[in-house]
Amino acid sequence: MSRFSFGLLAKVAKAMLGAGVVSTFMLGAASAQTIKIGTPLALTGGLADEGKKQVIAYDMWLKRINAAGGIDVGGKKMKVELIRYDYQTNEQRAQQLAERLIVEDKVDFLLAPFGSGHTKVVAGVAERYGVPVVATSASSESIFNQGYKNLFGVLAPNTGSITNLLALVGQAQPNVKRVAILGREDVFPKAMATTMNDLATKAGFQVQSMEFYPVNTLDLATPISKIKSLKPDWIYITGYSKDLILARKQMADLGVTAPVVTMITGPVYKEFIDALGAQAENVTSASWWHHSAQMTGDDPWGSTKAFYDEFVAREKQDPDYVHAASAAALVALQKAIEKAKTLDKAKVREALATLDVKTFYGPIKFGPNGMNTAITGLPIIQVQNGQPVPLFPEAVKKGNLRVFK
Amino acid sequence: MSAQILLNGLMLGAIYACIAVGFSLVWGVLNVINMVHGAFIILGGYLTFFAWLHFKIHPFLMILPVALLMFGLGYVLQRGMINKVISKPVLTTLTLTFGLEMILYNAMNLAFSATPRRIALDMGVFNMGELLLPIDRIASMVLALTLTGLLYLVLRTSKIGRAIVAVRMDRDAASLMGINVPQIYAVTFGIGAFMAGACGALVAVVFPVSTSLTGLFLGKAFVICVIGGLGTVPGALVGGLALGVIESVAGYWLGPQNAILIGFILMLVLLVVRPTGIMGKKGYE
Repeated sequence: MSRFSFGLLAKVAKAMLGAGVVSTFMLGAASAQTIKIGTPLALTGGLADEGKKQVIAYDMWLKRINAAGGIDVGGKKMKVELIRYDYQTNEQRAQQLAERLIVEDKVDFLLAPFGSGHTKVVAGVAERYGVPVVATSASSESIFNQGYKNLFGVLAPNTGSITNLLALVGQAQPNVKRVAILGREDVFPKAMATTMNDLATKAGFQVQSMEFYPVNTLDLATPISKIKSLKPDWIYITGYSKDLILARKQMADLGVTAPVVTMITGPVYKEFIDALGAQAENVTSASWWHHSAQMTGDDPWGSTKAFYDEFVAREKQDPDYVHAASAAALVALQKAIEKAKTLDKAKVREALATLDVKTFYGPIKFGPNGMNTAITGLPIIQVQNGQPVPLFPEAVKKGNLRVFK
Repeated sequence: MSAQILLNGLMLGAIYACIAVGFSLVWGVLNVINMVHGAFIILGGYLTFFAWLHFKIHPFLMILPVALLMFGLGYVLQRGMINKVISKPVLTTLTLTFGLEMILYNAMNLAFSATPRRIALDMGVFNMGELLLPIDRIASMVLALTLTGLLYLVLRTSKIGRAIVAVRMDRDAASLMGINVPQIYAVTFGIGAFMAGACGALVAVVFPVSTSLTGLFLGKAFVICVIGGLGTVPGALVGGLALGVIESVAGYWLGPQNAILIGFILMLVLLVVRPTGIMGKKGYE
């Protein structure tokens, strides 16, 4: 049998083992002297792309931290071991694996999977066992308002990005008044749709419609035809990349357009722009981070530029907010452990709750509900000439809002 | 607007029919609930996408090569694996095809990642007054209906088609009449995969292709079979068109969040009042 066949078989066998396989990232052998961080990751299934982004960022941080001898725990350097399982984008499996990480693998701390919905289930398990969990990509306030004491998230709340978006469009296009909203019936996309509905109404926009499509939707022709009949000035659609690519294509097919088209958060990702080509042009979105913002901080990279340069050299593409926030989650955990000078979960939780640090990603300071409240001025981007170009805030602005003709 | 909604439903329904027809045939003839059917469709979609991406082959030209390739895969899988447990209870074959689906699904994830891939061929839109007919969707609808019609003709008029129908009606009698039943089983499974592959090529033109859609296609095929009736081409056609129109109309009047629910309610009602489905025959429920 050829080497290719063996390789493929090995990959398939590994995939078949699925969640039963544990992968350990570490430089050197695991021992009692290591800090164990566990994470269920979506390495297969609908969120596999996002899960793989988390892996890249975790790997980058892990190499840097272990190369430096590990995390300083009360004067003693301890290397870090990251234990991950593939939860196959299956919420129940994420829950089971979080429990397994705590009970069987005896991890010290957890990182949450991608997205608000799956963060919520993992946070529920972590809360039961009193294990601090840092969310890399959850921004829905409903998740953080459950009363969990051990959940912390590095993303800023949804409301910040929508407030900025409304301000930008309101100033640049004062004639834009009527908004049609279409959202995916899922935790984060639904929160982004309902928050838009509330804030747009308060800001004086007329929300003509707000509808939701189910998670397993194959076709969006009908809700998009309905939007067409409303003749809105602003079409605002939330969902994940597959939904948004389909929505944009079907908008073009059905001749649906508006001066402003926003999709949350597809245009932030390279895969959205690659799949749509010219149709991605002028679509706006909100992001939680952009590499144009030049930050400095006390972390393994020290600056946004250093993180960006390492990422580009490694991946041959620009990082997006998922990469940066995933690395930042580990930085937050690292800083809390250093501050607590112990691996005691309750003390590290306290250190996280009072953390106030500057990093390559931006400042991290968790509010009473565990969300990162230190970041303001969340970027608004627009696809221009095949690139996500920041329009807001002023510090990172590289273009002006363009409208659809 | 109502006409556009109906047209949207018909365009979707034709693709649904194409999705379900191979699944229905395999279920009706072999009594195998082919859990790998959705993954076959997606594999067909990926093959079409990469042929377009790397060799600039128009996706419609890939329908036949992809379908033939999938026929070969289906035939080999049936002869080599499924046939060995074909006489076992339906749960055994279901578990086997479920395992095959997991292998294919994960292999595709590793090979292609879950990134949605889209064939960026904008073929334009045909205007008929207020009606907008995206040419790629109309062409896919016509091709889906043509493929479904051709399968119907093959089953009605060809020797192999009559043999398949005979096996579906009475396996033992067909065997006594000299029909090589294991061979017919493998050919039928191959035809099911052929239709899945052809449908995958059409789906790749209209929708982004992603491994995350495998379960969705399988679920649609299941619902369509229950609505339309099992084991017959007209059943899949009627079930597919009915589901497409119902989802479209319900999505417009009751909101998209309720469209899928209405389809499932129809399925449940039919299970109670007409277990054979709209076009099904007694004995295949």
